[in-house]
Amino acid sequence: MSTRGQAIPARAPRARPHADPRLVAAAPVALVLAATVAYPLARLLAQSLAPGGHWSLDAYARALSPVNLRPLWNTIWVSATSSALAVVAGSAAALLVVRTDLPGRRWLRTLIVLPYATPPFFGAIGWAQLLGPQGYLLRPVLSALGIAAAPQTIYSPGGVVLVLAIYSVPLVFLTVAGALEQIDASLEDAARASGAGPLAVMRQITLPLVAPAMLASGVLAFMAAATNFGVPALLGARVRFFVLTTSIYRSLNIPDFPLATALSMLLVAVSAAALLLLRRISRGPGRWAVISGRPVPARPLRLRGLRWPAATCATAFAVAVAVLPLAALALTSCLKYYGAPLAAGSLTVRHYAYIAGLDEVRRAMRNSAILATLAAGICAALGTAIAYAHLKARVPASAVLDALGTLPYAIPHTVIAIAVLLAWAPAGLYGTLWIILLAYVVAYLPTALRTVSATLEQVHGSLEDAARTSGAGPLRAFRDITLPLARAGVLAGGLLVFLPTSRELTMSILLFGLRTETIGVAVFNLQDGGDTENAAALAIVALAALLVANLAVRRATRGQVGL
Amino acid sequence: MDAISVRGLWKRFDDTVAVADVSFTVGEREFFTLLGPSGCGKSTTLRCVAGLEEPTEGEIAIRGRLVSSPAAGVFVPPERRSIGMVFQSYAVWPHMTVWANVAYPLRLARVGRAELARRVELVLAMVGLDGLERRYPGQLSGGQQQRVALARALVRQPDVLLLDEPLSNLDARLREQMRAELRALQRRTGIPILYVTHDQAEAMALSGRIAVMTGGRIVQVGRPLEVYARPRDRFVATFVGVMNIWPAHVVSREAQHAVVETLGRRIRIPDGSGALGPVMLAARPEQLRLDRDGGIPCTIEARSFLGNLVDYTVRVGEQALRVQTPPDVLFEEGERAGVEIRQAHLFPTEEVP
Repeated sequence: MSTRGQAIPARAPRARPHADPRLVAAAPVALVLAATVAYPLARLLAQSLAPGGHWSLDAYARALSPVNLRPLWNTIWVSATSSALAVVAGSAAALLVVRTDLPGRRWLRTLIVLPYATPPFFGAIGWAQLLGPQGYLLRPVLSALGIAAAPQTIYSPGGVVLVLAIYSVPLVFLTVAGALEQIDASLEDAARASGAGPLAVMRQITLPLVAPAMLASGVLAFMAAATNFGVPALLGARVRFFVLTTSIYRSLNIPDFPLATALSMLLVAVSAAALLLLRRISRGPGRWAVISGRPVPARPLRLRGLRWPAATCATAFAVAVAVLPLAALALTSCLKYYGAPLAAGSLTVRHYAYIAGLDEVRRAMRNSAILATLAAGICAALGTAIAYAHLKARVPASAVLDALGTLPYAIPHTVIAIAVLLAWAPAGLYGTLWIILLAYVVAYLPTALRTVSATLEQVHGSLEDAARTSGAGPLRAFRDITLPLARAGVLAGGLLVFLPTSRELTMSILLFGLRTETIGVAVFNLQDGGDTENAAALAIVALAALLVANLAVRRATRGQVGL
Repeated sequence: MDAISVRGLWKRFDDTVAVADVSFTVGEREFFTLLGPSGCGKSTTLRCVAGLEEPTEGEIAIRGRLVSSPAAGVFVPPERRSIGMVFQSYAVWPHMTVWANVAYPLRLARVGRAELARRVELVLAMVGLDGLERRYPGQLSGGQQQRVALARALVRQPDVLLLDEPLSNLDARLREQMRAELRALQRRTGIPILYVTHDQAEAMALSGRIAVMTGGRIVQVGRPLEVYARPRDRFVATFVGVMNIWPAHVVSREAQHAVVETLGRRIRIPDGSGALGPVMLAARPEQLRLDRDGGIPCTIEARSFLGNLVDYTVRVGEQALRVQTPPDVLFEEGERAGVEIRQAHLFPTEEVP
C-alpha cells in the first residue's frame, strides 16, 4: 500500500479557511463591471433626478412637455408601423420558405437573411440612392410619367418606416422560421386526421403555434427600430422629422445636456416597456410548451398552381431587400457623379482613390479597427469571467454580476453613450478613443456574456470536477478543460462584438471628437454632407472588410464561428 | 487504518439539509456502497469525500489524514486528496484523446515521460483499451468512455476510488459485464472503493458492505445478505428487494417466538422483541409458498413469468401479496389456492408511516 502513497506528493492540510483563487479572481471583475456598467448608468439616473445638483423632477416634467412628446410619438408610431410591416413580410417569407414546396427555397433563405449583415444606415444610403429625388428607381418612373419632382421620396417619415422595416425582416424571418421548424408534425397530422384541410390546418394549428414567436420578433423589431439612429438621421432629419434618437443627437449639438438626459429617459421608458412585453410573451402560460424539442419535419404544403407566381414574388422581394441597396451603393461608388447617365463612359474608380487618400478616412479605419478589436477582446474576456463565475465557480453573489453584465441589453445605445459621456467626460476622456471604447464595451458586453454563457452551460460541471479529482487546481482546471471546451463560444462572442462595433454609428456619432472619428461616423458625415459617391465607396470598402474578417474567422475556426 | 472515515457529516444547502449526521468507515480493500433513492444524500456524501463540496459539519479522513473538518478549519481541496473518481456522465474530456485523458493526472503530478508512458499503457491494458489511445471520446461507445474514465481515475494509484453511479448510463448487458469487471479489478488491485448507486441489485452484487440512505441519513449498514434478510425498518425492507408488509396481532409469546394472528390464522414467528398487540408482518415473495392443498385460502389475481421465477399477486381477503415460486408448478389466474408463510418477521407498527 505504501507504493500508492508515493504517487502523489502529500502536502499537509493547511489549518486556515481555504481561499478559492476563483473568488480572488472574481473581485477585479466585479470592480470593472461596477466602473464600466453601474457607474455611468447611476450617473445618468442621478443627473435625471438632480439636474442642477439638487433633487428635482424638472427633467421628467420637461421630457413630457408637448414639444418633446412629438419625437416620442414619432418613435412609437414609426417603430410600430415598421415592425408590423416586418412581421407580415418576414412571417410570410418564413412560411413560404419553411413550409411549402416553393422552388429555390434555400437561395431565398440566404437572400432574406443577408441584410442582417449590413448596417441599416448603409442600407438607408442605398435606398436614398434608389428612391431619392434622383433615385435609380424613381427617375425612370418620373420621366415616364412626365413629372418633374416626385410628391413623395425616401426622405420622409414613410421612407424611415420602409427602411427600418426592411432591416427588421431578417430578425422576424429567423425567429418565425425557427419556431416553424420546431413544430412537431404530429400536431398537424392530428388535425388532418380530424378532417381539416391543409389551409384550415395552417390557420387553426400552425399559425397559432408560431404566434408567440411572431409577436416576440415583432417586439424585438420594435426595439431595434425605436433605438435606431442612422436611418431616421439620414432619411428623416432632412425633412425635419425627428424621433427620440435624433432629437437626443440634436440636443447634444446645441448643447443642451439636461434635455438630452430627459429625452434619454423617454427612450429608456419605450425600450423598457417593449422588454416587459417581451417577457410576458415568452412566459405566457404554457404557450411554448407544445413546441416540443424533437422536431419531426412536417410535410410541405403544396402550392400547386401558385408555385411559380409565389416564387416570382418572393424572389422579387428578396432581391429588392437584399441586393438592390447594395447594388445601388456599388453603382454610385463607381459613377463619375451620382445622377450621371448609366453608360460605360460614366464609370470611374476615382472615388475609391479619393477616400484612400483622405486623412480622416484612414484615421477612421484605424480607429474603428482598434476600437472593434479592443471591444471584442474586452467583452469576450469580461463575458467569460462573469459567465464562469456565475455558472461554474458558483462565486457568492455572482447572480449580481450576471445581471449587471446583461442590464445594458435593455438600454438603447444612444442612452448608453449619454451615460458614458456624463460619467467620463468630467474625467477628461471626452474626445478620446477611450470614451468610445467604454461605450462599446457597455453596449456589447451582454452580447458576449450571453453567447459565452450559452456555451458554458453546455459544458457539464462534472468535466471540471473530473479535472479537480485528477489533481488540477481550480484555475488549472479552468485553463485545461473549461476554456478549451468553451473556446468556440468565446470566439463567437468576440466576433459578435467585433462585427457591429467595427461600423458602429449610434454611439460613435455622439462621442467622437477631433481625430477620433470612426468608419460609421465617416460614412455618415460624407453622406450627410452630400458627398454620396464617396460615402458609397467607403461603405463598400467597410462591407468588404467585414466580409473578409468574417471569412477569416470562419476559416480559422473551421466553420465553427462566423456567419 | 481505515481507508475512509466519515464522522458526523452534515451538509446544508441554503435551507435544505442534504446530508444529516452521516458516519461510516471504509476499510482496507473494502468495496463499500452508499445505496438509496435519488435525493437521499448519497452523491453529496461522496462529493464531500472527494472535496467537491465543502461539508457544513463533521470530519472526513482519508487513510488517516484529516481532509475536512470545519471545526478545525481544515479543508483540503480535491486536487490535494489522494482520490480517483468516476462520474455518472463519465466526464471524459471531449477535446483530448484517450491517451491525453488518462495521462492528465500524471502530467499534473509531474511524472517523468517514460514513467508516464509506462503507467498509462499499463492502466489502459488493465481496462482493455489498448489500441484506442489516439481516439477522441466522440469516437468511442458509452462502455469504452466508461473505461477511459476508470483508467483516468486509477492511473495515479490513488488511496481510494470514488464511483458515482458509474454504470447507470450503460445498457443492461454492458452493465452486467462492467459489474463483473469492476469486482475483478477491485479484487486484483485491492483498492478501497466508495460506490454510490440507486440500484439495489448492483449494490448487492458488488459490495462488501452497504449503507442504505434516505432523507440524508444512513438507516442501516451491513453486508448485502444482512440488509436483505434483516432490514432494520420498512424503508430498507421495501427499497432493497420486494417485501410484503401487512398488519398482524401478537397474541402471546413463547421464549424467542411470537404467536401472531394474521389473515385468519395463528402462526409462530421467531422474534425476541417482546412486543405484544398490533404489529406489522414482513415477508419476501420467496418466503411465501403457493399450495393446492392447505395454506391460507387465496385467489390468484395475476401471474407473470420472470424466466427463472413466476411472480404471482394473490389476494387473501382485503390483503394483496406477492409470491414468487420456481416455475415447476403453475397456477392459473383466477384459481383458488392456499398461501403458506414459510418465513416472516415483525416490525413494530409505529415504524410504519
